[in-house]
Amino acid sequence: MNMIEVTGLVKSYGPIHAVKDIQFTVNKGEVVGFLGPNGAGKSTTMKIITGSMAPTGGSVRVAGFDVFENPIEVKKRIGYLPENPPVYGEMTVESYLKFVAKLKGVERNRIGRQVEKSIEKTDLGSVRRRLIQNLSKGFRQRVGIAQALVSDPEVLILDEPTSGLDPRQVAEVRALIHELKGEHTIVLSTHILPEVQTMCDRIIIINRGRIVAEDSLEGLSNRIAGSSYVRIKVARPGVEFESALSGINGVSSVVKIGDGYSVQVRGSDSAVEEIAEVTVRAKVGLLELRREIVDLEEIFLKLTTSEETQSPGSAV
Amino acid sequence: MKGIFVIAGKDLRNLFLSPLFFVIAGLCAIVWTLVYFLSLQEFANASQMNALQGGAETASLHFIVFARHISLVNLVMIFAVSSMSMRLFTEEKKNQTMALLLTSPVTATQITFGKFLAGLLAAWALVGVSFFYPASLRVFTAFDWAPLFSSYIGLLLITAAYVAIGMFASSLTESTVLAVVMSLIFNVMLWFIGALSESSQDPFLAKTFEHLNVGGHFMNFIKGSVSLASITFLVSVVVLMTFLTQRVVESNRWR
Repeated sequence: MNMIEVTGLVKSYGPIHAVKDIQFTVNKGEVVGFLGPNGAGKSTTMKIITGSMAPTGGSVRVAGFDVFENPIEVKKRIGYLPENPPVYGEMTVESYLKFVAKLKGVERNRIGRQVEKSIEKTDLGSVRRRLIQNLSKGFRQRVGIAQALVSDPEVLILDEPTSGLDPRQVAEVRALIHELKGEHTIVLSTHILPEVQTMCDRIIIINRGRIVAEDSLEGLSNRIAGSSYVRIKVARPGVEFESALSGINGVSSVVKIGDGYSVQVRGSDSAVEEIAEVTVRAKVGLLELRREIVDLEEIFLKLTTSEETQSPGSAV
Repeated sequence: MKGIFVIAGKDLRNLFLSPLFFVIAGLCAIVWTLVYFLSLQEFANASQMNALQGGAETASLHFIVFARHISLVNLVMIFAVSSMSMRLFTEEKKNQTMALLLTSPVTATQITFGKFLAGLLAAWALVGVSFFYPASLRVFTAFDWAPLFSSYIGLLLITAAYVAIGMFASSLTESTVLAVVMSLIFNVMLWFIGALSESSQDPFLAKTFEHLNVGGHFMNFIKGSVSLASITFLVSVVVLMTFLTQRVVESNRWR
């Protein structure tokens, strides 16, 4: 079942398009990562999904309800963590979460339980009676996450949930998101690549307001790369060896990097096998032979930079 | 409906937990006490003079003491309400908590009414405090309640208008300073727009400005007449300002 359905989303400020023709669906229980450089339109898209911003065109449906025809129904089902946690400094963590629970329309008899649950999940027990203004950035961010969870929403929209956290807290948030997986449908945005690699089922890469790729992690790797690299480091590099490598069936390019080579291999493993054999037979003094799968970072750079070269003038 | 009370409750709680409200209330009390004491003295002198001259006419407690007190409360409220209502929306925008309100299952109307209710109750709490001054005199002497009550009806209505104006000003900007300045200017404008009736040649305009004369309406309440026209005028100011605020809140989505 489609939990979130976004079609033809456009948001423009005069001639400038913040997002253009964004289109995607998120299934129930799925964790989808929005990936893109800063200013790509991730936050804008999220604001539109949560109903805090109206689009110039297109439609968004959450759990079957249109965000603009039925905003109240949609908002009941969404927990949203904006870029900056929306907290009141003069409130304590506990009273703040109680307020949010009431605001989100949690039934009176469930408020206490829900507040406890979200405090426990985000590990805020030690600061529950402290004023939020006296908390560190990391704790505030966690209060922000707790706030999104407190109404036990079907859909969680998290805009850069790990920003401002120290490495241990980042790991905790990732673990938390893993835990929430399945119970909730989650859309999260980030510009940190390993984050989506560890947390998301599916990745949507946005650049300059458009979706440039949408697939699972493996799907993306296969689609963009279709090839892998073999890095070879030898003691005595030479021209004959280089041409011998180029002659192998399945090798599409050989580039010399320092005292080694980067060999691009297309297709099967047999080419890699042959590379090893040729290298040993050439007696060039093999020091290192390493196979590299194209990682997300490369995909990301490839996608976002190729888009840039296609439309160099379009301002965002 | 519930959303209104949740938002109003939060705002009131945060206002009463902040030193701002108590500083304002304390300063108001000092000014009121001082002036009230002086007017009482003046009233005592006037009555003595009357008695010495053997006049049958007693000095009017309502006009010498109460009317002066109420005018002063009104003057102080212009500043007090402006400085309390300035935070209603500016704080939400500065804290980025507006996003929370806008993504919660409440409408812009509910947000606006919630804020207005919080500001109104805080302002009326101060008006309530000011009521103790005249009411306490009842211990010492009997006086007519009716004109005092009508004056307070006027005071409650006019502070409601100040709250609505202040709320509108704070919805327009992210800066609390700008909000308080705008709110003061609007409030003062409300008092001076009536003065235009004297300078306008056109009888229709003159009549219109006369209806907009807050001073005149307020004077009616002090004199003891609760007229429908005055109530309607002040309520329309509240309605207009609340409506404009609601539009501004709603427009947050379109920016």
